[in-house]
Amino acid sequence: MHELSLAQAIWRQVVGEMERRPQYRLAALSVVVGAFSGADPESLGFAMRLVVEESAWPGAETRIRTEPVALKCRACGRAYETETLDLACPGCGGYDVEVTGGRDLRLESLEVVLDDGEAHSS
Amino acid sequence: MVKRIRLEKKIVSENDRLARELAERFRAAGVLAVNLMSSPGAGKTSLLEETSRRLGGELRLAAIEGDLATDRDAQRLRRAGMPTRQINTGRGCHLNAAQVAEAIQAFDGRGKPLDLDALDVLFIENVGNLICPAQFDLGERRRVVVASTPEGDDKPIKYPVVFDTADCVVLNKMDLLEATFFSCEAFRRYVRGLAPKARILELSCRTGAGLEAWLDWIRAERTAAKKG
Repeated sequence: MHELSLAQAIWRQVVGEMERRPQYRLAALSVVVGAFSGADPESLGFAMRLVVEESAWPGAETRIRTEPVALKCRACGRAYETETLDLACPGCGGYDVEVTGGRDLRLESLEVVLDDGEAHSS
Repeated sequence: MVKRIRLEKKIVSENDRLARELAERFRAAGVLAVNLMSSPGAGKTSLLEETSRRLGGELRLAAIEGDLATDRDAQRLRRAGMPTRQINTGRGCHLNAAQVAEAIQAFDGRGKPLDLDALDVLFIENVGNLICPAQFDLGERRRVVVASTPEGDDKPIKYPVVFDTADCVVLNKMDLLEATFFSCEAFRRYVRGLAPKARILELSCRTGAGLEAWLDWIRAERTAAKKG
């Protein structure tokens, strides 16, 4: 439900990066959605398509990778991951657990090509 | 040929940016801003009514109220002596930083802003919802989640995101405990799992039992906010 505003925020950061590299055209962007971030990857993908279509690079592809919730059980010491929000420890079944990862929403990388179509090696 | 640029940058939304501005204003004025979140009916407004009655003579308090419709909660708080601005979100399921900034700007409804320099504590009562409010920073210094005994003791593990960021968890309606299957021990264990540092305060807004510990928490947090 809030993913359109997140897509716009992602896009503002993408545009900021591209303005510093005017010789390039955007081919793709990679976004990481933590399972504990509150954002829904599917809705975000839909919102990104809407934002990208209206942009200077309508052909750019959005790749969304989900990152599981990373946890550490304080009771039995087990470190584990889950894709859901049921954070129960698979070892002891308890909920005395610390969330150590999966909170982030990150712009991971961009893929760009030289605008004149010439090959570019970095 | 495609060039890959690694960024690994956290997304900063427009709301995050506005929330930082609000947080800076609250800090500069030494105001303790508290974001109250709960499911509908847990007792956020009752807690603020009692807070106003018991602390209003001692600290300068104000509130911003979020609801889909009506100004009933703002009326209740004003009757309890708390200057309050109502926000109606229509279909919006949470408050955002822009709405809070706007409410401060037009606090009295006639274009007069809230004077933060003449304030000790600003309560921001969010829309009753345990999901979306957790994702929207309002520039608050402290986050309070209000739960209540009839809701069941497993709310923290069913809605972990909102409890994860709580600085204080108020368990209201302790007077109804006997009528429910609520286990305080299980509730405390679940909250501590997610938010080990959060204060857990059991109280009843109806009987007044336990309210003094809540008022003490507000007093201490307000003193800390004044020091910056």
